[in-house]
Amino acid sequence: MKLYDYVLSPSCYKVRLMAALSGVKLEIRPVDFHPGAEHRGPELMALNPEGSIPILEDGDLILTESSAMLGYLAARAAPAWLGSGAPEETARIQQWLSFSHRLTANLGGARLHEMLLRPGDIGALQANGIAALRELEASLFEQKMRGNRFLASDLPTIADIACFPYVALAPDGGVSLDPYPTIRLWSRALRSLDNFIEMPGIHRLHELKPEPRPMPGRGVR
Amino acid sequence: MLSDKTDTWVPVALSQDLPTGQAMPARTPAGPIALWRSQSGRLAASADRCPHRGMRLSHGFVRGEALSCIYHGWTYSQAGQCLRIPAHPSLTPPETIRVATRSVKEAGGIIWVADGAPDDNPPLFEGYVPLRSLTARAGCSALSVAAGTKAAVEGFVWQAPGAPAIRLLPIPQEAGETLIHVLVTADCSASERIAASRAAESLRRMAERIEAKGGVS
Amino acid sequence: MIDDAMRDEWYPVGLFSRLDRDGRETTLMGGPIKVALDANGAAKVTGENGRVLPVSVRYGHIWSSLGEPKKPVFPIPEADQPGRRFVDVGVVRVRCSPLRAVENFLDIAHFPFVHTDILGSEPHTEVENYKVEIREEEDEVWATQVKFYQPQAAKSASGGITTEYMYRVPAPTCSVLYKTCPPRPGEWDVIALFVQPLAEDLCDVWPWMALFDDETPLTDLIHFQQTIFLQDRSILENQIPRLLPLDPGMEIPTRADLTSVAYRRWLKRHNYTYGAQLVAQ
Repeated sequence: MKLYDYVLSPSCYKVRLMAALSGVKLEIRPVDFHPGAEHRGPELMALNPEGSIPILEDGDLILTESSAMLGYLAARAAPAWLGSGAPEETARIQQWLSFSHRLTANLGGARLHEMLLRPGDIGALQANGIAALRELEASLFEQKMRGNRFLASDLPTIADIACFPYVALAPDGGVSLDPYPTIRLWSRALRSLDNFIEMPGIHRLHELKPEPRPMPGRGVR
Repeated sequence: MLSDKTDTWVPVALSQDLPTGQAMPARTPAGPIALWRSQSGRLAASADRCPHRGMRLSHGFVRGEALSCIYHGWTYSQAGQCLRIPAHPSLTPPETIRVATRSVKEAGGIIWVADGAPDDNPPLFEGYVPLRSLTARAGCSALSVAAGTKAAVEGFVWQAPGAPAIRLLPIPQEAGETLIHVLVTADCSASERIAASRAAESLRRMAERIEAKGGVS
Repeated sequence: MIDDAMRDEWYPVGLFSRLDRDGRETTLMGGPIKVALDANGAAKVTGENGRVLPVSVRYGHIWSSLGEPKKPVFPIPEADQPGRRFVDVGVVRVRCSPLRAVENFLDIAHFPFVHTDILGSEPHTEVENYKVEIREEEDEVWATQVKFYQPQAAKSASGGITTEYMYRVPAPTCSVLYKTCPPRPGEWDVIALFVQPLAEDLCDVWPWMALFDDETPLTDLIHFQQTIFLQDRSILENQIPRLLPLDPGMEIPTRADLTSVAYRRWLKRHNYTYGAQLVAQ
């Protein structure tokens, strides 16, 4: 499986993260999104006329929607991430996959504007981002009341992976995560999973590694 | 509504939102803090600024009974003393390297912080348990108007139709915002708690609409 | 506060390869400027009211000034060495003081915590003594004999090595680092940070590199450097106070911070205070 990837793209990171969590080895083909705008160049436009990344290629299959890529990786290698199949749970997953596209637009748009100088109405993007975070906070709280630590059940699913990156990187776009304690706990639960990988802007949880014994000093401080 | 004097207890967070071994940012009238819970469960409230290069300590990580700054790993005890500077592993950091700490107490599932060392204990709300915290872009006055009730020292009780009564503790923040801790009666079921959460969200929406229309003098 | 001292310096304002006739609008120390190509394909920079500003094209970037620079843009001799690959890493905006951005670039003690398992990792956190001086003739800050153990120091490195560094500050908002170059022992890879001050608490950072590396694809090199810088960005946006304190009292350096101590002293000596605060609060 080949991923056309930009290391700073949260949408590409969704796929890299799902691959790591499900044990799939991806062939990474780096795309010079910034400053080179390679995603709009002839080679990549031929593969995906929408001009977006990520693009996932597996033989004849070419996927250009990150939600579909998450579903595909889970179906191939880790079906538990698709949920139990119960109708309510399946519906919740679908709902959150759709919701994640709003996050790409608002939190992602704010981030592109604040960090990479892309055009946009920053006030509206941030306001919409805050509204989305409040919905997420409220829903995660209600899930907690039902005994569930994640968006669709008590186990993580592709719904969580779809929403996590843009939420975790909201501060990049000037949207603080301080007011959302339930989101903080959910984010932490994801970052603590076995085989979790970070992306730039999401720090490693150093507390998961005990205090190492200091190396004996070679020189005088 | 609750006093914003610095010598009284201010409810800054809910216990349920700060598990063992974690740190979170919180705001107090005397400035921002890094609120954290050590591995043994003890709480500490450190000034949210590492004295090395000014990085927010609330972004740091807890190992054992100490909080470390995410920037260079400088490590602080619960009393605020710098214990370790990873760039100089054999150095015992001088006592002058420390962060200011505040008094912190946990009562009734709520974490209270004070700037000084108050004689009394934080209030307890008999029969109520914390539900969740939310932040409103509205002042206490707008909140009172939305609820149709005057806020007292211990917050106020409000009931939306079809939802259980909720007790709200509003704490003024900067920039006209209000942190609201929502409590429900201990006997509420899970579905009642969900209804209570939605009621709190409705109240917030109403208060923000009032605030946006020009606020309340 | 814009002092004359900083007004007369050169600042990066764009990437030459991405410039066209339409140009780009940007800001320099609070003032709007426009950067474009003229009819002859040369870079042109204009300020408020169409005032023509000084312009220079160096290291793939366009440089300009609100004042009258007395010297050309500082030299980087390695940029003229044959066989070098030049990498325009691309601009990143950061809500921080331009001086904080430079100071972070000079620091290595954060490698194990911020660039975990790339530029450093626990327990290899010790920063050994190194040499710092202000070279009077060039009027630049230099740190040499800086060493740090790294699991994956560069795209061209195949495993953990002890990397040697040199750091240089040739202008108030620019820094150049030199690091040991695995494919060519004895030569230095050059990584520079050119910082455009938009406001005292907002800057556009333009990283650039001059490397000996014929193997690694260009995009990989760009992504590696962007990864490192983006990891720093979330630190830079959370330092308090926003402005860099130039007086002692607010912040506590140790021996590992000698470069930054020299940088702050050099800034103060020159009255380079845009993005700085003077009295400890």
